Amino acid sequence: MIVDTSLFTRWVKFSPSILITLLIMPVVAGLLGVILPAFGWLPALGEDTVDLRGFEALFATPGFVKMLALSFSTSFVSTFFAVLLSILILGNYFNSKLLGHIQTLLGPILVIPHAAAAIAIGFLIAPSGLIMRLFSPWLSGAELPPDILLPNDPYGFSIILGLTLKELPFILLMAMAAMQQKEIKQAIEGQYKVALSLGYHPFTSFCKAVLPMLYPFIRLPIYAILAYSSASIEIPLILGPNTPPTLAVAIMQWFNDVDLHLRIQASAGALVQIMLTLCVLFTWWLLEQCVKRVCLSSLINGRRTYADVTWKFLTHCITLVVLFAIVLALIGLVLWSFAGYWSFPKAYPDQLVTQHWQSALQQLPETISDTILVALAATGVALFLALFTLEAEQQRRTQLSSFTSLMIYLPLLVPSIAFLFGIVWVKEIIGINAVFSMVVVGHLLFVMPYVFLSLATSYRKLDLRYAKVAASLGRSPWSVFYSVKLPQLMPPILFSSALGLAISFSQYLPTLLLGGGRINTLTTEAVAIASGASRRISAVYVILQILLPAFGFILAWLIPKLFFRPRY
Amino acid sequence: MDPANNMLSIQNLCIYKNESRLFTLDTNVLAGEILTIMGPSGSGKSTLLSWLSGMLDPAFTAEGKLLLGGQDISQTASHLRRIALLFQDPLLFNHLTVAGNIEFGMQASQSSSKKQRISKALASVDLSGMETRAPKSLSGGQQARVALLRVLLNEPRVILLDEPFSKLDSQLRQATRELVFEQIRQRGLTAILVTHDQSDADAAAGKVINLSNPRST
Ligand SMILES: Nc1ncnc2c1ncn2[C@@H]1O[C@H](COP(=O)(O)OP(=O)(O)O)[C@@H](O)[C@H]1O
Ligand SMILES: [Mg+2]
Repeated sequence: MIVDTSLFTRWVKFSPSILITLLIMPVVAGLLGVILPAFGWLPALGEDTVDLRGFEALFATPGFVKMLALSFSTSFVSTFFAVLLSILILGNYFNSKLLGHIQTLLGPILVIPHAAAAIAIGFLIAPSGLIMRLFSPWLSGAELPPDILLPNDPYGFSIILGLTLKELPFILLMAMAAMQQKEIKQAIEGQYKVALSLGYHPFTSFCKAVLPMLYPFIRLPIYAILAYSSASIEIPLILGPNTPPTLAVAIMQWFNDVDLHLRIQASAGALVQIMLTLCVLFTWWLLEQCVKRVCLSSLINGRRTYADVTWKFLTHCITLVVLFAIVLALIGLVLWSFAGYWSFPKAYPDQLVTQHWQSALQQLPETISDTILVALAATGVALFLALFTLEAEQQRRTQLSSFTSLMIYLPLLVPSIAFLFGIVWVKEIIGINAVFSMVVVGHLLFVMPYVFLSLATSYRKLDLRYAKVAASLGRSPWSVFYSVKLPQLMPPILFSSALGLAISFSQYLPTLLLGGGRINTLTTEAVAIASGASRRISAVYVILQILLPAFGFILAWLIPKLFFRPRY
Repeated sequence: MDPANNMLSIQNLCIYKNESRLFTLDTNVLAGEILTIMGPSGSGKSTLLSWLSGMLDPAFTAEGKLLLGGQDISQTASHLRRIALLFQDPLLFNHLTVAGNIEFGMQASQSSSKKQRISKALASVDLSGMETRAPKSLSGGQQARVALLRVLLNEPRVILLDEPFSKLDSQLRQATRELVFEQIRQRGLTAILVTHDQSDADAAAGKVINLSNPRST
């Protein structure tokens, strides 16, 4: 092959390595920055002996076992529910138009930041929340908000509710994306028909014929969710108990404590957090093996139905309840954001005022512009690197090695609480002071995988004959890339950008830690005021948090229609 | 079950796609008889089979009645019709063994006799000892035979075949065809075969309907 040595080609050649370095370096540095202090080595505090003090202090923390149990149970149970609900919905609405509608309704939920979702759910289930108001006093008999500890109940039921509602759309959409790939679609529809024609009832047909084939495609997303939820911050922080909180939340509180010596204990906690996440993953794997053992024989036991009608009815009910809860949560947000005085059992505020919006909007311009600037920078870099890496792949005519692909997802698999603090520490040692770029790098770690993933499918599907024709007409590689490939990719590029922005908007921990309080985004502000101040102001923040990514997606959808419309 | 009771009547069937008529059909198939449906591709042969099995795509609308053994089953759900489908692709379940695939089709019963029946059936199609093999490790012709057994041991009242031999090469095609027809006749099943190969139609030795020209019955 003739070697082209233009600047563009050289850049393209190096971009996979740049991309991987940008992702691995912070994670590895961050992990080191946690491992060393975990064993007592923190020279900044004059601690330079290696010992197990951190772990001893950690194990002696009151409620330590409870923290572990809470992290473990909330992530495991919520994922279990989310998977179960996904199976019920997929199975009972398989081959029905309803599934498409449910997808359209749940899709947007996916890009609502976790913090926003948590605050909205908190409002909904609180003793004075909309649910209680709707059922009072005629059903509950309550004239005053009942005295129950919700959302911050000690058993983590609220966390489970929040996580389940956030995970359900993700699993559903991943499953549906797999089911829409042509070969898979043909195979599963054929096998579903085979099962029906052999006399299996519809939901049983799905479970016995389709699910065993479909599950491998949702397996990785499920593991990603388990890893994420076992170490997540926002939802347990806002919906969880504080006596004690989940391990991840506790670690964050220790790291942020004014007593810097708690950092040793926090670092030890971060390592335990990694073990805990691995434990959750392993337990799920065990569950998979058990289900496989037990169910394989019942697949061929000849039973045609397992209370199909009951399951169908149950699925209708659950789907309705979930959709109802989501709509109610959104309505609740809007009402709170305009509520003046709102006496208890009333489902509608006594007066509507705009003063919360006015005061929030006065404080917000800087926050919003910071949010957008960070997001644009992170998404821009991510987009640039993803496109060049994919172009490199095409020029080399080989797909990325599986190691490289795995590395791109590394930041999503390693609990972020375990390496972000390490980055802060390394940053302090090296003495980097560039807050903005640090925050951008932090966001990039989480934006990159999504942008890459969403672009890769379309880029790899490009019909290369166009590029070859253009090259044979004397176009340089850069010109082929710029004027042949990019225009064809416009819609997916815009979609990936909107996704990247949404992911960046939703980041809490990276902004908080790497920004060190000097850069505030809508999400950090929303979490900060969620714990106290005013429910009404909170509602305004959450609505803005939902509107901002929605705006990005609307633009991504609108721009091709306006500018790239074929003209006749 | 009395095989004579398995007569299938298609009465005044008319299938529409976007308001325009795709085809009309009015015919009877006796138990043990193989009705052959021919016609150019796109004429609606597969659509006819999906209507018969109760799985018509919502893109189509249908008028007409379907009677099985004198009973109107036009509104019966697919899984209760006892009409089995055999597609062009074997569509075997890769998560089950060969025996598992066949057992999937069988009715629930004592498992000891089930195993015997499966071995006997496998032997009858030259697949003795293949029980524990993975479907993927079988050749195309072997997979087609397993798919056939899965349907036959289901003991349906009607069997619908959608170009079941078209993916086999010519020698295998003839052998498989003979086997399928023999089994269908032995069991007195009512069968409808979709094909665009004249030699299939000759071998079926029954009524032939050309969908592009339904009057020719
Ligand atoms: N799911 C569908 N939606 C809309 N049109 C369809 C669908 N399936 C098939 N068709 C159309 O209906 C006609 C009949 O299709 P089909 O029954 O598959 O024909 P055949 O099996 O005779 O080749 C064709 O024109 C085909 O394009
Ligand atoms: Mg066809």
